[in-house]
Amino acid sequence: MAHKKSPFAHIQADEAEIVDYKNLALLTEYITETGKIVPSRITGIPAKYQRQLSGAIKHARFLALIPYCDAHR
Amino acid sequence: MRHYEIVFLVHPDQSSQVPAMIERYKTTITAAGGMIHRLEDWGRRHLAYPINKVHKAHYVLMNIECDRTTLQELESGFRFNDAVLRSLTLVRKRAITNSSLILTSVNDEKALVKAKETAKNELDLEVNVDELATETAVVTTE
Repeated sequence: MAHKKSPFAHIQADEAEIVDYKNLALLTEYITETGKIVPSRITGIPAKYQRQLSGAIKHARFLALIPYCDAHR
Repeated sequence: MRHYEIVFLVHPDQSSQVPAMIERYKTTITAAGGMIHRLEDWGRRHLAYPINKVHKAHYVLMNIECDRTTLQELESGFRFNDAVLRSLTLVRKRAITNSSLILTSVNDEKALVKAKETAKNELDLEVNVDELATETAVVTTE
């Protein structure tokens, strides 16, 4: 995957609202087709937001809002 | 008193019980002097993966302010209620009252479906009018 420009640069003002397990449009941008979390080395987002994102993705997975992997029956 | 965000998933067969459950939780929270800042019913959603061989669940989101004993009561309620498939409790720093992104997307979808239906009805009406017009035309020619 090519380097992606971070949406975080523009919207740091209300970051607490944006990185949330309910923001599925954002979370799905940071998981692969197989459901894995994309490393920040690839996406280039700051470490602070990567930590928030990974937590949010894990909460969303627990609530079955996004899949853990592509092998669910 | 702390702020909590709770999401719980209800078995789709028990979907009709959801309003009663919400009412029960409301009374337990308010009876203990707590507050409900946000209450959202996302309705029945498709799960990203099956839980206990169930593919759909009814989601409810609550942002509440209550003490520890009330929270424990609620959580044990979830644990021993067979209708609740799963629940997640998060600590929040403040009361959140604006509607969540998931609820707005659900509402948008509903609005879209409604708009389509009305458009379809209008089309049907137009067709009927056309049919009537042709019929009357036939009558007049006779």
